Amino acid sequence: MSNKKEPISIDTIKAMMNLSDEDLVKPLPLPTRWSQPFWDAAKEHKLTLKKCSKCGNIDHPPYLYCTNCMADEHEWIEASGKAKLVAYAINEFGVPFPFWADLPYVVALIDLPEGPRMISNIVQCDQDKLENGMDLEVVWDDVSEDISLPKWKPAGK
Amino acid sequence: MSRGEFAVIGSGEVPTGNLPERTEFEIAYTVARMAIQDAGIDKSEIGAVLCAQHIMSNPNNDYNTEMVFGRLPEAIGAKGCKITCMTSSGGASSFSIRKTAEGILHSGEADTVLVVHAQRFSQFNANEQAKYFSIAGSDVEWEVPYGMTYNSLAAMITQGYMTYTGTTIEQVAAVCVACRRWAMLQPNAMFNNKEITIDKVVNARMVSYPLTTLMCNVLGDGGSAYIMTTAEKAKKLCDKPVYILSDASDYSHRTITRAKQPDLDLLSKFLSPIANEAYEGAGLGPEDMDIYEIYGSYPVINLMVMDSLGFVEPGKSGALVEAGETSPGGKYPCSTNGEAMSFGHTGTGCGFNIFVESVRQLQGKAGKAQVEGAKFIIENCGGGAFMDCHFTVMGNEIPG
Repeated sequence: MSNKKEPISIDTIKAMMNLSDEDLVKPLPLPTRWSQPFWDAAKEHKLTLKKCSKCGNIDHPPYLYCTNCMADEHEWIEASGKAKLVAYAINEFGVPFPFWADLPYVVALIDLPEGPRMISNIVQCDQDKLENGMDLEVVWDDVSEDISLPKWKPAGK
Repeated sequence: MSRGEFAVIGSGEVPTGNLPERTEFEIAYTVARMAIQDAGIDKSEIGAVLCAQHIMSNPNNDYNTEMVFGRLPEAIGAKGCKITCMTSSGGASSFSIRKTAEGILHSGEADTVLVVHAQRFSQFNANEQAKYFSIAGSDVEWEVPYGMTYNSLAAMITQGYMTYTGTTIEQVAAVCVACRRWAMLQPNAMFNNKEITIDKVVNARMVSYPLTTLMCNVLGDGGSAYIMTTAEKAKKLCDKPVYILSDASDYSHRTITRAKQPDLDLLSKFLSPIANEAYEGAGLGPEDMDIYEIYGSYPVINLMVMDSLGFVEPGKSGALVEAGETSPGGKYPCSTNGEAMSFGHTGTGCGFNIFVESVRQLQGKAGKAQVEGAKFIIENCGGGAFMDCHFTVMGNEIPG
């Protein structure tokens, strides 16, 4: 694992790679009709999951209908906001331009006690403190007016 | 499909590299003719021409559009062609196209099929390629916004596999070293003139911890083609037809978070049943295989596939590779073309490259990389973000 480096400034990236402002805008999720409730709740800093009212299956990512029994009827349940770290990677190079300013950053596979898995970032954590199986809790990154992203920090800190 | 119903009788391949002057059309036309001549058939015998998808589109002259519109049969003068199409499942395309070929042969619509793959990445500038590939494979709504990339995905799986099996980073690196040793014996490999060591691989520039640049693959322009016929026809035309003895498949997921087998150290649980079904269909076992042609595209996937193939205890593949047993001269030759890491990643083509290498090995045409007396091979491919796996058992004879 390399030492934490000074993040590169956006202006440096722009000049180096001859990029426009547009090239550096972080990609945001484009909600679909069936995922919109997730993002609406996220905006309120609520972590929710789509649960089938017929068979109880939780779909994450959510789809148009239940991937277990194909029913339309569902509810959005609120998740505990807790998770466990399954595995992680630390990006240092070769990422899309909008993320250069964040380097190095952690992408992780996490398990929610409610069942689903998610990909997200681990934040507020020294990289040498990362440990598979560690407890995490959700924090919210308000990346735009419409979108807040759930990210994860070590629990209890 | 019954065992040995179809056979590959000839193949062609061009060198993989960064060669912008050689268009994807030139590659396709070249490998088509190579395969036809290697097969010793007349081009008028070809009843179907099947094409693999080209990754990334050139808006001024799109290869995919051209192939979908039937460019290839016309360009090669395949006057007997009745069917042409493009089939794609990304990295699993070599399997899905082959099944299309087999379906056509089985139906009797044609007794000779030409399969072609071509790819030219170098026509796109570095920024365009980087932009495409950094997010390709990642879910745009649920992964990309977090800065997820293909390399990150492989890195995460590697990190999990290492932690949960005790495999060391040196053992992961050993896969790349073994692949390079094979590539050094391959005239068409992109990286065939410089040895690498475990030390060099481990200490190369970090891309996505724990993966360094030498543990990731490099995109290369390339292409390959082959001729497949019915077994009946193959026996008349060819000394050493390469029979498709059996295959087996399973699909796991689109997004890694929904993988059927959630334990990152135990992907062999997902893969083993598929491999076993392929072995059973051929009436053979792991010990009967002379070569294991694994296409993983990242070293950890190769290790997981090895874990599932029945010649090593799951989780212990790293040690086997480190001991040189999968390298030239080793007891369990694997990925004899050097795999995506050293042969070069030709887009949807890696599966085709490893398939035609299997054909060459079984026909005794593998040159310096030849595994002496190779009779049976198990080969695999998969696509997407490790979305599926297909194992195929091939042989130059049909087991009794």
